[in-house]
Amino acid sequence: MRRSAAVAFLSPAMLVIGLFTVVPIALTFWISLHEWSMYTPLGDMAWRGFGNYADLAADDGFSTALGNTALYVALVVVVTLPLSVALGMLLYFPKAAGKGVARAVLFSTYVVPTVAIAIVWGGLYAPSYGPLSVLFGGATWLSAPGTALVSLVIFHVWQMTGYYTVLVIAGLTQIPGDLYEAARIDGAGFWRQTAHVTLPLLRRTTVFIGLVSIINAIQVFDPVYILTQGGPAESTAVLSFAIQRSAFQHGLAGQASAMAFTLLVLLVALGGVFLAAVRRRS
Amino acid sequence: MKTTQVLALGAAVMVVAAGCGGGGTDRPAATKISFLTHWGPDQVKALEAAATAFEKQNPGTTVDIRAVPFGNLLTTLRTQGASPNGPTIAGIYDLWLPELVRDGLAASMPADAAAELAASWPKNLVEGVTKQGAPRGYPNEVDLYALNYNKKLFQQAGIAQPPRTWAELEDAAAKLTGNGTQGFGVITSWPAGAVHPWLSLVTSNGGALIDGTTPKLDDPRTVAATQLYARLIAKGSTKPEMSNANANTTGPYLDNFVNGRTGMIIMANWWQSALKDAMGDRYQDVGVAPVPVGPDGTKSAPVSYSWLTVVNGKADQARQQAAWKFLTYLNGGSSGRNGSSAMGDILTSMGILPSRTGDLEAHKAELSDPFLSVYVRELPNAVPFPSVPGGEAMSQTVQKHLENVIFGKETPEAAMSAAQKEIPGVLQKAGT
Repeated sequence: MRRSAAVAFLSPAMLVIGLFTVVPIALTFWISLHEWSMYTPLGDMAWRGFGNYADLAADDGFSTALGNTALYVALVVVVTLPLSVALGMLLYFPKAAGKGVARAVLFSTYVVPTVAIAIVWGGLYAPSYGPLSVLFGGATWLSAPGTALVSLVIFHVWQMTGYYTVLVIAGLTQIPGDLYEAARIDGAGFWRQTAHVTLPLLRRTTVFIGLVSIINAIQVFDPVYILTQGGPAESTAVLSFAIQRSAFQHGLAGQASAMAFTLLVLLVALGGVFLAAVRRRS
Repeated sequence: MKTTQVLALGAAVMVVAAGCGGGGTDRPAATKISFLTHWGPDQVKALEAAATAFEKQNPGTTVDIRAVPFGNLLTTLRTQGASPNGPTIAGIYDLWLPELVRDGLAASMPADAAAELAASWPKNLVEGVTKQGAPRGYPNEVDLYALNYNKKLFQQAGIAQPPRTWAELEDAAAKLTGNGTQGFGVITSWPAGAVHPWLSLVTSNGGALIDGTTPKLDDPRTVAATQLYARLIAKGSTKPEMSNANANTTGPYLDNFVNGRTGMIIMANWWQSALKDAMGDRYQDVGVAPVPVGPDGTKSAPVSYSWLTVVNGKADQARQQAAWKFLTYLNGGSSGRNGSSAMGDILTSMGILPSRTGDLEAHKAELSDPFLSVYVRELPNAVPFPSVPGGEAMSQTVQKHLENVIFGKETPEAAMSAAQKEIPGVLQKAGT
């Protein structure tokens, strides 16, 4: 009886997950074993087995996209995580007026659609005449292979930090005030309180932010599509863009699905390693 | 009770049957077709007007115009094209045609339309839209490349006339460079923008991109054009950081020319309207000349490409027939002004060269404009961009190596050699 009740209560959720998560993933894997231009029905796909995966292993474009994505993710996480923790503490601890407004302003960058704001950043980054180029003595930003990916990271950090900061503030509210009081009585200053009270008790939040920022960074697409189209010289060709280009521009949906499925496997593996490392430390 | 139920059921069936029967008249069922285009609002309005006029002449057929940005056109075709309810007509880039024909999405033209096409369009364009032995659509827009230059900057640099050879191009570029201005601009982060101008220099040096399905990138005449780029960059006459384009095919490369920071650039005729909009009165500073000829070339031979309208081969027969009828009207001499087709009127309003012979004649006055007239004169010398399955991927491979040269990551020789090796695999994947 209890078992049937559990099945009855779980089935709507399982149906939704099955329909919108499991079926698309299975279909992506199935397509990755075929050759398909997307102009024909699914039933007309030509079987390739693991040929698309073998091609990826030998494809310079795929390894470039993988490398660019890894660098992008690393830069995003390294900058975003400490920055959002610092900003969160700055907006939580001091008793100052206007903190709410500052939070709202920070969060607003997350609310604005990426497409709209990417166009504005394209203008800011314009070489020679763009405000940021003028301000930084003719920096090349999106116009040179050496700076284009970093420029996209700056845009990502600007857009997402506000969201992560709000999460940090939410985490800080969960730390009991009497722990700080006890630490102060024991003679701990600001830095010792941060190192021994704030950061350890904020760990669940920072782990969550770390994981979400990795996933968000791996999925970056809009600014690459709008601002750089993977250039210059493939320096911003990240995986999601390479998948889109392969499927929709080149008509190689099988190869694109192989890339997408590889990305999924990498994402699961990376998430697993990240969580395992965190669990071992705790 | 039973009798009452039977009577009630019979009455209900009669009511439903009457409702479905449309009042019992013999009016034929309406045929609804759709036209997918990447044109802007003004041109869509003109296309809608032509569709309305067609609908009046052809009661029972309705034409729905759907517009998407250029960047989304191919995506829309890939996601909706295979469906019988996808766009019935689509305006496509000729590079996409081989793949559409291979997968049965570009229907063969009916015999009467094919005869009209053969009679009213230049032979080379008819050949361009003929695949697997049958014409697949009406060519409309033709684009080709020419050297665009800033007359004011030329005057300030003491250059009397636009360069006719590569040597003159290098000399003029050096003279124009300085104070934040580059002599000769290139385009990056956009496959056609990067490849077509460079290929126009290659073809004006007697070279080619491919011969049939064999790449010709290691041909000395092709390598020479890449070496020209490398020399211009080494001398500072071309500044790579001023070259990038965005998804809308605008961006810094365009802004730099518009703002007088680029002395010369090789670009297609379609950007005339973009220059006019962005430059205002300064548009009068824009000069146009044929693409400079290389040391191994005999004449300027710019790259050209075209757009055409095709009918969805997956649509039902009634829709296909209605679509061809509409296209015949749209491209016929009675739908536009002064003997032009409505299509000719729409294209000319964008500064684009129409391809139908009668349209070129009807729009002679507009096409004699100093900007467009050079492109019109160069049309007979134009070399069509090779239209093969995998053409888009091939173009992107060349773009990648060309940009590697522009940004100093590869030498011209190494870049062309690598592209030569990669392209056969790219074409093979697409079934060429």
